[in-house]
Amino acid sequence: MSLITQKNNRRGGGNKGGARRHQNNTLYAHPLPLVLDQPPPTWSTHILGLFGLAGTRVLNPHCEGVFDPATRSVWVLNAKDLAILWTRGFFGKGDLSRSEPSWRTRQISAKRAAAGHYMTAEEVREKRRAERTQFKRDRAAAMAQAAAEAEAAFAAGCEVQHTTVIPSGATWKPQQPLADAPPPAPAPEEDDDRAFEAEVPALEHLQLTLQEAFFLMWTLDCLTVLDPATSAPMSLRDVWTAFRSVQCAPQIPIPGTLELDLYAGRFDNPFLVHYAAYHYYRSLGWVIKGGIKFCVDLLLYKRGPVFHHAEFAVVVLPVYEDPADQESSPFDLANASPFSWTWLSTVNRVNSQVQKTLILTYVTIPARSRMSPDLLSSPACLTHYSVREVVLRRFIPARMRD
Amino acid sequence: MDDSLEKPTAASQPTDPEEHTEDEQSSGEEDQGPDWTKIPYVVARPVIPKRGEKEFEPIAAGGSGLQRHVLDRARSAMLDALAAPRTISNKSISYAVWHPEIARGHVTLNRGIHFATMGHSVARAPSIQDGATKIQKRLELLPEEALYLVERGAMLCWKASELALSETPGLEDVEGVPMTVQQAFAEMVGTEDLTLEKYQVFAYLKRLGYVVTRTKPPSPDYPTPPPYSLRPPSILTRLHSALHSTMRRILQAFYPRIDWWNPLRLGRWLHHNLDSRSVFRSLRFLPAGHHIPLRVQTSPKCAPSQYEIFYNLYKPSTPFKKTAPPAPDFSVVVVNARTTPMPSLTDLAALFDVLPELPPPVPRKRVSFAQQKAMAMAAESPVAPAPDVEQPLLQRLFPWAFASPAKSTPPRNPNPFLALKSGKKMVVIAAVDAGTISFFRFGQGVFTEWPMA
Repeated sequence: MSLITQKNNRRGGGNKGGARRHQNNTLYAHPLPLVLDQPPPTWSTHILGLFGLAGTRVLNPHCEGVFDPATRSVWVLNAKDLAILWTRGFFGKGDLSRSEPSWRTRQISAKRAAAGHYMTAEEVREKRRAERTQFKRDRAAAMAQAAAEAEAAFAAGCEVQHTTVIPSGATWKPQQPLADAPPPAPAPEEDDDRAFEAEVPALEHLQLTLQEAFFLMWTLDCLTVLDPATSAPMSLRDVWTAFRSVQCAPQIPIPGTLELDLYAGRFDNPFLVHYAAYHYYRSLGWVIKGGIKFCVDLLLYKRGPVFHHAEFAVVVLPVYEDPADQESSPFDLANASPFSWTWLSTVNRVNSQVQKTLILTYVTIPARSRMSPDLLSSPACLTHYSVREVVLRRFIPARMRD
Repeated sequence: MDDSLEKPTAASQPTDPEEHTEDEQSSGEEDQGPDWTKIPYVVARPVIPKRGEKEFEPIAAGGSGLQRHVLDRARSAMLDALAAPRTISNKSISYAVWHPEIARGHVTLNRGIHFATMGHSVARAPSIQDGATKIQKRLELLPEEALYLVERGAMLCWKASELALSETPGLEDVEGVPMTVQQAFAEMVGTEDLTLEKYQVFAYLKRLGYVVTRTKPPSPDYPTPPPYSLRPPSILTRLHSALHSTMRRILQAFYPRIDWWNPLRLGRWLHHNLDSRSVFRSLRFLPAGHHIPLRVQTSPKCAPSQYEIFYNLYKPSTPFKKTAPPAPDFSVVVVNARTTPMPSLTDLAALFDVLPELPPPVPRKRVSFAQQKAMAMAAESPVAPAPDVEQPLLQRLFPWAFASPAKSTPPRNPNPFLALKSGKKMVVIAAVDAGTISFFRFGQGVFTEWPMA
């Protein structure tokens, strides 16, 4: 359920099932920010379509973002663009929220709840969690008491009598009665709402990773990136250079010596390697989010995080075609050498406990010896990388017998 | 208690009846343990005690007497079960002679069902007899097979010796020097490519009921499954692919070359079917997939890869014929998890090259509970089903004109997620970490064939 667009929703959970699914389907109908406007089907359009003149219009939202080299991301500050980029393709992450940029909505509903003396969804959740911890403590104390009884009976040498009752989830009641239920709140008036909205400024922005921003700029041409210093729109060439050089540590030129650019002509720039994997999965229709929560690089969603949990967890493994490149690399790419079985088992176990399949995605980095460094000046160098994946699962012989 | 376990003796501990009568008041006798001579020999076979729930939780007061008692009881039950002698009837034991120079065990007397799936027959020429060399075939075991049977207790293994035992009276049946299990381990592990990790995997899988054979035959006599050969494509397919590539090159000359600063051209016109699917399809212009040639250079100084398929695994339900084994169900690689890292892309590509492609998995047929019950009832009652209603002659002559009475279930489309999770080719890698075996399945991904849009 989108918190941004649901204004008058007092019930925390919203409708589950058909209504919510329908709501999600209408809200997140477009997989990409470009909307393809099909003309109404008539005989004329059908005949024209046979000749290839379909007349479908491509509506480009032309969003805007600011490049931030310090965080290596692109910030989208405009609220309208923010909503477009999130609802069409789930690009980016709100910097004050878990994923969907819903900070302002949550503040407004918190104010409304405080004014109307009822609880927000977050408060309901906190109360439920506090009750559950209390129940677990009570249960542990009861179990310890039962053990002590059995111990005393054993020491005495007589038969143990079970007199303590261990509480179960269904029968336990919270010890302290809650504060009296507040009087039913009056319906919020329109002035109150507008007052709340005026009080809460829009402090949140959407943060796009460099790969997402480049994908939107390069393939779909629906994002303009502004230079942070001059606020002038950066051209695609500027963006190509900037995104690659931000991965490099700043170099201090040593006076009296030739400036050796360590980073010139390097194909193993982390931006390029991760962009190759990002583009591959995006072009297959997957929605990609970050996977740091599960020890992996990317999480793949079939349509989006609001629809279903991620099915696949992707680890990006760069493979150097020339081992000499790896030795001379100034970048120290993560996962470039094969890791130990302990770590692989760890990642696999973490992900199988959340029912995700681990995918190892190998991105091959072309050898510098057979490439000219000029190739790096344009995105054409991406054709020299190749992406392939390997699925990893456990094999339990006792269960695979039939 | 430990001492008596380390030095097992067949003789029971002797009791001195005179001491009993002298010292009736001493309670020391009772503490020495049960009187072995008095206990009737009840335990014939070792009984594995059931595991209970672990109840230990650190308590502030210190250890709990009840918990310690329960734990001691369980522990002593386990030790008793382990201490019980393991026996096998002498009618079911097999005999073999181990020849270290050829690293094979020659089975002189085979009994039991083990040899239906283990051992291979080898022709060895014995010494000249009656003026001609008779080539005799004998059953031989690989070191891991022999060691497995010895460890199970199903076989008694002798080591071939130079001593002329057959002449000595009373020792005609003896074929060599008898070997203990420890000696068998020492002799057989290390020969013929067998390491302790490989033996552990072999023994574990055999105990579960699988049939395990070697992929690379150690000698020409070892039967192997028919090789999975990449058949050269037929003339028709080759012609088709050549035509396809020339057409593509011709079309590329007409189409404008891709502009790397604007790779996607979504024009309003000249686009037959512009929808999100075609947009995604045109986004796939970067090379991806396992068919792209791998150009990774391996430095010459690094050691040859440890990743080679070692065992062929057959499920217990697969009909296995020793002389003509079928294609394996699984291919297993065994590595030492402490010394070998994860397989690299070159290792995996080399493994996948020699493996066949698997068909996409078929989703399970969902049968409702009512249908299941009906099927069970039908299976139980052997009553013949009611005869079909006699179809009119016209319907039989022209079946296409009439609606078919029984609608066969349409073939179910394979689930994309099922296909994505299983992949196209599969190899099983067993990583042995000081005794603990972890099996992993590495599958070749097929994401390019199952796009989500």
